[in-house]
Amino acid sequence: MMEGCLSLSGVKVRRGGRIILDVESLQIPSGAFVGIIGTNGAGKTTLLKVCCALCRPNRGTVEFAGENLARLSPWSRSNLRKRVGYIPQTVEYNCELPFTVREVVAMGRISVRPLLSRLSGADYEIVDNWIERLGLGGLRGQTFRSLSGGEQQKVLVARAMAQTPAVLMLDEPCANLDFNWKYQITEIVERLYHETGVTILLVSHDTSLLPPACSRIVLLHKGRILADGDIDSVFASEALQVAYDCRIETLNVGGRRYIVNKNQASGS
Amino acid sequence: MDPYFYLVIVAGLIAGASTGLLGVYIVGMRIPFIGICISHAAMAGTIYGSFLVFANPTLTAICPALGGIIASVIAALSLAGIRPEKSRLDTNVGLAIVFCLMLGLTFLGIGLNQASRSEMLGLLWGNILFTDRAGTITIAAMAAVLAIFCALFNKELKVLLFSRSIAAATGVHAGFVYGLFLVLCGIILAVNLPLIGGLMIFSIITCPAAAAYQICTAHRSVVIAATIFGMLSALIGFIASFYLDLPTGACIVLVSAGIFALAALYRLLLNRAD
Repeated sequence: MMEGCLSLSGVKVRRGGRIILDVESLQIPSGAFVGIIGTNGAGKTTLLKVCCALCRPNRGTVEFAGENLARLSPWSRSNLRKRVGYIPQTVEYNCELPFTVREVVAMGRISVRPLLSRLSGADYEIVDNWIERLGLGGLRGQTFRSLSGGEQQKVLVARAMAQTPAVLMLDEPCANLDFNWKYQITEIVERLYHETGVTILLVSHDTSLLPPACSRIVLLHKGRILADGDIDSVFASEALQVAYDCRIETLNVGGRRYIVNKNQASGS
Repeated sequence: MDPYFYLVIVAGLIAGASTGLLGVYIVGMRIPFIGICISHAAMAGTIYGSFLVFANPTLTAICPALGGIIASVIAALSLAGIRPEKSRLDTNVGLAIVFCLMLGLTFLGIGLNQASRSEMLGLLWGNILFTDRAGTITIAAMAAVLAIFCALFNKELKVLLFSRSIAAATGVHAGFVYGLFLVLCGIILAVNLPLIGGLMIFSIITCPAAAAYQICTAHRSVVIAATIFGMLSALIGFIASFYLDLPTGACIVLVSAGIFALAALYRLLLNRAD
């Protein structure tokens, strides 16, 4: 299996007596850009957490680059996460601390360096390179807490990329951002994909945030995969209407897909 | 001045420096309650350790202190085992439970130990004047271990300070470093307990670090400022208590709170100027 490949089979995650994820089979090849969509509570975040060994399934097998995650020790699982650039949906960042943008991006290198070692000049070159590539050069010395939500998200993407990950996993990276910042962040993710070829898993409940480069869609509904295929086939299928429980019309604007509730549209 | 007072001042400075440095991480990780929680564990351990001394007086030199260290390390390890994302138990709730348990054990121990109840109660307040050369050397050795730990794991501690969930998600071996930090925290609090006291130590951990976070704009300067503020709290508190004939522990706490108040005022004025 190639580096960065993910494979799930017979995965079930149960919480509070309820099955919140039930994936029969899912293969993510190296170099893919996969959008994971679905309504709230569909299991998108759980799927991502299972993929990066932050959540252990009750049943089934998850393989990352050919390694069965269940058979790894906590130490080895932690080592494996060094190859995953993960940006969680909600994280309690300690914004009171005076960490600069450069320090936060450098945290991406910290995770790949062994314990008891220091960051080298080469590490800081990678850090500065990602700061520049994400257009954060002017903010390098500013504290993270002084940035806007969109700028902070850019810094976190730079931090994840500074890890030089095999897979970049983004969980609702545009939550709480205005439409302009949403566009900017997804543009950046798309550019990173084209420039680096990194495997990307992008979770979003808003389908318009999936950039044109996102060639494959996994539609989750009540923890199960309702549709999995190229963007045109998934958006043309009935599955979308089942998942959102309404009549749906999809619009294609510059390669981005918008979902419109037909009932609402005709009502107005 | 009596040479003994120089020893007391040195012990106070070292205790202030190590608790100030600990505070940077405890306050930064938003777990300040951990100080009082582990110090009560140390108190309970010290009290039950002293029971062995009654049984065998030759153990006087090691038993109470060793009991304190063992109890605080057990408390630290149980706190390290709390995983909010898995156990539905918030770290602060876990701290409160361990704290209540240790407080109960402490007072039970004091109640059972009728012979030296006032001495046991003294652990709550501490007394810097009870220090001796061996105690000072122990405190200094542990302060050195803490400084080395912070230097060696500086990069991992920075990620933990920023976000524990990010640290866990990106493979920083967060659990290992966090557990190690809590164990070290337990030992340092246990060895400083007779000097600063279970109740006072909470203040000297929290106030200097909180003051440093108010005025500093870089992580390194927070570390330096918190260490200096901790030392100043101990030094000024001791001198004030000596000349004004007041309880030493209380003076140290009031000075550390005063330093925080000044730093908060500085931040307020700075914000207004902006």
